[in-house]
Amino acid sequence: MNWVTILWPMMGAACLTLGFVHLLIWFRRGASIAHLWFFVFTVSVTCYTAFELAMMLAPTVEEFRPVQRWLQVPVFVLVVSTIWFVRSFFNTGRLWLALAIVGLRVLVLGLNFVSPQSVNYLEINSLQFIELWGGVSVPVARGVTNPWNALAGFSYALFGVFVADASVQLWRRNGRHDRRRAVLIGGSLTFLVFFSAALILPTHWGVLTTPYVVAWLVLAPLFAMGYELVEDVFHATQLARRVAAGEAQVRQNAERLGLALKGARLAFWDWDIAGGKVYLSDRWQEMLGGAAQPLVTTFPALAVMVHPDDFPELRRHLREALKGIVPAYEVEHRVSTPSGEWLWIHTRGEVVARNANGRALRMAGVNEDITARKVAEERFRLVVEASPSAMIMVDEEGNIALLNAQAERAFGYARKELLGHPVETLIPERFRSSHPGLRAGYFDDPSVRTMGAGRDLYGRRKDGSEIPVEVGLNPISTPEGRFTLASVIDITERRNIEMEAAQRRSELAHLSRVAMLGELSGALAHELNQPLAAILSNAQAAQRLLAGGSQYPGEVREILDDIVEDNKRAGAVIRALRVLLRKEEVAHHALDINDVALDVLRLMRSDLLNRNVRWNTNLAPGLPRVLGDGIQLQQVLLNLVMNACDAVADNKGEERRLEVRTGRGEGGSVLASVSDRGKGIPAGDLERVFEPFVTTKPHGMGLGLSVCKTIVEAHRGHIWAKNNAGPGATVCVELPAHAQNVA
Amino acid sequence: MSDAQPTVYLVDDDASVLKALRRLLSGAGWSVEAFSSSQEFLDRHRDDVPGCLVLDVAMPGLNGLELQEALDARGSLLPVIFLTGHGDIPMSVRAIKRGAVDFLTKPVDGEDLFAAIRAAFGKGQALREARAEMDGIERRLAALTPREREVLAHIVSGRLNKQIAADLGTVEKTIKVHRARVMEKMQVRSLAELVRLAERAGIKSR
Repeated sequence: MNWVTILWPMMGAACLTLGFVHLLIWFRRGASIAHLWFFVFTVSVTCYTAFELAMMLAPTVEEFRPVQRWLQVPVFVLVVSTIWFVRSFFNTGRLWLALAIVGLRVLVLGLNFVSPQSVNYLEINSLQFIELWGGVSVPVARGVTNPWNALAGFSYALFGVFVADASVQLWRRNGRHDRRRAVLIGGSLTFLVFFSAALILPTHWGVLTTPYVVAWLVLAPLFAMGYELVEDVFHATQLARRVAAGEAQVRQNAERLGLALKGARLAFWDWDIAGGKVYLSDRWQEMLGGAAQPLVTTFPALAVMVHPDDFPELRRHLREALKGIVPAYEVEHRVSTPSGEWLWIHTRGEVVARNANGRALRMAGVNEDITARKVAEERFRLVVEASPSAMIMVDEEGNIALLNAQAERAFGYARKELLGHPVETLIPERFRSSHPGLRAGYFDDPSVRTMGAGRDLYGRRKDGSEIPVEVGLNPISTPEGRFTLASVIDITERRNIEMEAAQRRSELAHLSRVAMLGELSGALAHELNQPLAAILSNAQAAQRLLAGGSQYPGEVREILDDIVEDNKRAGAVIRALRVLLRKEEVAHHALDINDVALDVLRLMRSDLLNRNVRWNTNLAPGLPRVLGDGIQLQQVLLNLVMNACDAVADNKGEERRLEVRTGRGEGGSVLASVSDRGKGIPAGDLERVFEPFVTTKPHGMGLGLSVCKTIVEAHRGHIWAKNNAGPGATVCVELPAHAQNVA
Repeated sequence: MSDAQPTVYLVDDDASVLKALRRLLSGAGWSVEAFSSSQEFLDRHRDDVPGCLVLDVAMPGLNGLELQEALDARGSLLPVIFLTGHGDIPMSVRAIKRGAVDFLTKPVDGEDLFAAIRAAFGKGQALREARAEMDGIERRLAALTPREREVLAHIVSGRLNKQIAADLGTVEKTIKVHRARVMEKMQVRSLAELVRLAERAGIKSR
């Protein structure tokens, strides 16, 4: 026993152990093939160590020779395994060089066994024992060198070049551990190759006398390789742990996405266009009424489920998305369920992968079941359709989104001529330009209201004719945005009825006026007879003057002047009468209510005198004007004055009195009232007196006040009666001031 | 026409009518006074001037008919002619009953008005004369003693002296004396004349 016989087996055992560890790592962990090559490398090193030990212990040439020959086998394995270790672990090294080396080594191995003794020696003649440290002597062969040994030397040189080259490449790659590896492994291997060659080859040639003690040189690359491999495993483990954590994250994300899709009740789809497969998440099957399971199917299988009416639209959208005309598409279509029902699906999708030529490889998106919404929409559409009035739904841009048959009829358009077109199509040109602004204003402050309060609205039919309309507006909020539902009522008929009613009212007012003037005829005759009397008397006085050969032409001229004056007066009375009796269109003008009151009192003067009724006037100056028909308003006041006269008919002296007042009402309106000192109106009749055929007079028809009420209301005013604090009653008329008066 | 020039009083609130009428009547030679209201007339008019009143019916304040009543109440003898723009029958009946001379409608012909005024003047004259006669009768009646007035009443009833004496509880001779006194004081010569006067004075027979 000496240190060689202890150290060399220990070295081999350690080496083999290390090799098996890496074999296990390679086998159990599926680690890099480099571990396997390392294992092979350790086995060859172990064998080499064993052969070396055997050579060192060989006492004779005969025992030395076979060991010397078989030593070439582990050397061959060592070289090959080292080369493939470098290639797999470094990921560098020139393949042709590797193959050249392996080829050379095969050739050397073949020559080794073909040669008489080995590729190193043609003939080993003797053993020269050399004393080593600690009294150990080892043999060195002495004999004839095999010339083919040069080939082995050349292969070693190439081997060294290969390793050095691979290490330099690794160094240049400049990765995280690359430079250390290049230095440690590459350096130790290069050192091993050149140093061992430098030791052994000269010995073969007899230049040097060194024993085969190369095994310990292998330790350096061995440990470097082992260390780096372990380092690699360690990193791989770390990486694996990180990857595992990442995977957990990915899994969690996927889970969350799944939950989100589930929460949103969305089905995810993923179409592998090249592979011809469509993956659908479990919601899809659930939507169609099946169990919640994922499905892998093909595009044609899905396409046949789409409603034939919807398919062209879907295909168009898909094509645009596939060609990249649009980045993504959205479309609503129907699909058939296994139970034969139609389901409304909203589908969104986009191309997620394309090849270098821009061809779509993969498309993905989501499907949503919108049947409930579609049913609601359909119900809404049916309600709109069933509406007796024309309904038009307009989006925020002012385009028509929906209309019913009534709207088609009212405006004379076919539905498709209006859908998607601006609602201004239906508005007469003279209002068109102002409408978008009004529309925008409505969207800023939407509420249920009538359009264009107080204005007359018109719609324009396709043939260009106009219809008077009334428009109600309703704001509607939907997932697709805000809309306004306009209900349009053609009020032509109503207009006509209103005009007819106005005509009737005017006729009734006229008749009532005629009747009233009949009652007043005596007084009016008086009013007319006054000037006539003056004219006649003046004329006869003049005749007399002329017959008497008057010398006073001045007096005659004065008489003639007076006659002309009185004639005018008579003419004025007749004109006033004609106006009241005339049956003409109601014409509204801005009027001063005081003028109306004075005209009435002028007409009534004689009647009041005849009836011995006294009157006061209390007219407020500077009243705003009222918009109205002068004749009709005269008629109202005339009627009230006549009623007041009747009311005081039974009174005596000063109590036969009435008062006409004008003044300002609340909110700038104008008031006119007639008060009497009669018996007043029974409290229960204060409102009834304005109904037709209700009268408090013994011979009244009961039409006067009802006509007054009709007239006043047609003037947007109102009329009411009240009893005075003192005796009698007052009837008040309130009329709105003409807008242009209001400052 | 009497010696004093009678005046036509015009009352009309219509200034132009008033002016025209005044012009017409003045031109015809009448003396005319014009008033624009009843009140003005009442304030300024003196009853002793003969004339007639041409009166508008419909006027503010006191109207024509009321002015007529007021004049009646004052015992005025002024005859009234009504002029109206439009008179109805009840109004004219009421006016005539109260002694209006005429009820004319405007426009009135000058000649019609003149005729009415003349008639009114005549009536005024007659009224004044009748009033003067009545005044004389009453003055004479006032001179009678109560006994003589009693006897007068019996006489106009056509009773004999004897009967009267019996009624009054005296002798026929005394009645005869009373009778002579009555005849003398009443300034009559015959019984018929006495009866006529008594009638006019409103003394009722017994």
